Amino acid sequence: MDVLARNNVHVRGRGDRAMVFAHGFGCDQNMWRFVAPEFESEFKVVLFDHVGAGGSDLSAYDKAKYSTLLGYADDLVEIGAALGLKNAVFVGHSVSAMIGVLASIKAPDLFGRLVLIGPSAKYIDDGDYKGGFSEKQIAELLEFLEDNHMGWSAAMAPSIMGNPDRPELGEELTNSFCRTDPEIAKAFARVTFTSDNRSDLSKVTVPTLILQCSEDIIASEEVGKFVRSRIPGSEIVFLKATGHCPNLSAPAEVVSAIRAYV
Amino acid sequence: MSESGSDEYRDLFENAPCGCLTIGSDGRITKVNATLARWTGFAAEQFVGQRLHQFLNMAGRIYYETHIAPLLRMQGFFNEFALDFETAAGERLPTIANAAEHRDAEGGVRFTALVFIKATDRRLYERQLVDSRSELRISLANERETAELREQFIAVLGHDLRNPLAAISAGARILQRSGNLQNEKELRVLDMINSTVTRMSDLIDNILDFARGRLGGGITLHRAIRPLEPVLEQVVDELRTASPQRVIETRFEIADPVNCDHTRIGQLASNLIGNALTHGARDMPVRVGAKTNGNEFEFWVANAGEPIPDSAMEKLFEPFFRGDVRASRQGLGLGLHIASQIAQAHGGRIDVTSSPEETRFAFSMPLAQADERIGKP
Repeated sequence: MDVLARNNVHVRGRGDRAMVFAHGFGCDQNMWRFVAPEFESEFKVVLFDHVGAGGSDLSAYDKAKYSTLLGYADDLVEIGAALGLKNAVFVGHSVSAMIGVLASIKAPDLFGRLVLIGPSAKYIDDGDYKGGFSEKQIAELLEFLEDNHMGWSAAMAPSIMGNPDRPELGEELTNSFCRTDPEIAKAFARVTFTSDNRSDLSKVTVPTLILQCSEDIIASEEVGKFVRSRIPGSEIVFLKATGHCPNLSAPAEVVSAIRAYV
Repeated sequence: MSESGSDEYRDLFENAPCGCLTIGSDGRITKVNATLARWTGFAAEQFVGQRLHQFLNMAGRIYYETHIAPLLRMQGFFNEFALDFETAAGERLPTIANAAEHRDAEGGVRFTALVFIKATDRRLYERQLVDSRSELRISLANERETAELREQFIAVLGHDLRNPLAAISAGARILQRSGNLQNEKELRVLDMINSTVTRMSDLIDNILDFARGRLGGGITLHRAIRPLEPVLEQVVDELRTASPQRVIETRFEIADPVNCDHTRIGQLASNLIGNALTHGARDMPVRVGAKTNGNEFEFWVANAGEPIPDSAMEKLFEPFFRGDVRASRQGLGLGLHIASQIAQAHGGRIDVTSSPEETRFAFSMPLAQADERIGKP
């Protein structure tokens, strides 16, 4: 299988060192449109879509494989191997922060630095651990996702997939950055919000930076601090940016925080 | 703009039949109209300075943060999304919303405008559609599973029935060859055994074909171009042996070798003649004919006897359809169904005419088309 086609991998920029950007739950690699270009002069910038999102090969979606984050981490390791990446910088947003953590544990040489934006090791509350959500709320989310199909129809998929370069938004491309097969969206939401990677954090062996937004309801400050406390030697930077997507709402702040760390 | 004009606009904003809300560049709510305040039960002042997600239910919050907010930054607008407010009374207020960013010259956000349409009934309707679709999916999957099991059972059953039948047939042959059976009665019993084995064997073939067809395999053809007459002769001979008391008259005028699946056409012939023997008048001959006629091959079977009732005509070729016959001749009702499947696989058809004088099944298939189809299933 062609891994690079499967994950709609795009490599841009110059530089010996690679910087891999991984999008989170909800949208695709376009999430990095204001951040990734800033690094193209110094880094080999690698962008990709998780299978099931964006321009990935939907036929490669395997329910069993992607029922845990490990399936996504395996893909990330495969992309690294296909591109011959070593000692790369990993930048993962939201659930992809944990996917990067898992990939790094599996292939310790792949990444030399991890940058985790809005990470959460577990979204659902568990005893003293406050993930921010109850099981019931996550169940409601899964149901709610069906109310927002974003105009998805299976017949539309090929035209979206055939536009990797994303020209000017045509009517048919409306919402395409965040649109996918509703069944896959639901499955990805389930694996994201029911994941528990708390015990994996201590296995990380590479220097790690956590970028923590303020007023992020998906990954609260408390959750970010927990990740900081469990990953040995990790650092945390509190951004002024609010919400869950500083890569879109405050790209300059994100760029300078990453640059300062790598 | 005149004072009254400005008032009109204000009134339109405040009391529009939709909720309106603006969010400043810092992500905090700057304005809310009276309609949205009324719907949610919060005062307009309670909104200002807050974040929109604080007024949404948890699913709506997550969705807003992971989909809507990013899309607004990426494409500048987002139409027709579902969003649920949580009212002051703690109730859910489902809405459909549109949102658009107003940007400055550099592409920065000046503010974001959102409008909300109440969608309680619409969402209830959609929810019911989604629910009934998933129910259908589940019951369809169950049905499929049951059907598959049933057909697999038939296939296995057919196979298992063949073995004892082969043993009976072999036993009868040994007895026949031994020459030990001499008297008339014993020989008649032997004939009956042979005839029953043939009939049973045909029934099993039909069961297996039917099951295979239903399992998705369909009837596959192994075409060849060779004379068809010997095949038909053999079929008739077997049936004569099986029904020694009946007369089968044949008239074959097949000029050229025929391009078809010879075994399958033999099975079709056997099923049609068998049907005529079962339903036709016992004291009248069954007449069988075959000929090549230009671009067509024709095969027909005719018998005398009671005509087929109009009500039965439409269902003749449906699986498990059985006409009124005495119980001992009762088959599974698969013979005609499989004959028609074989006809279709050859690009042909079976026509039925039935009158008090004669009931006739006529199979015809194109020869030219068959030539083009060589090698294709």
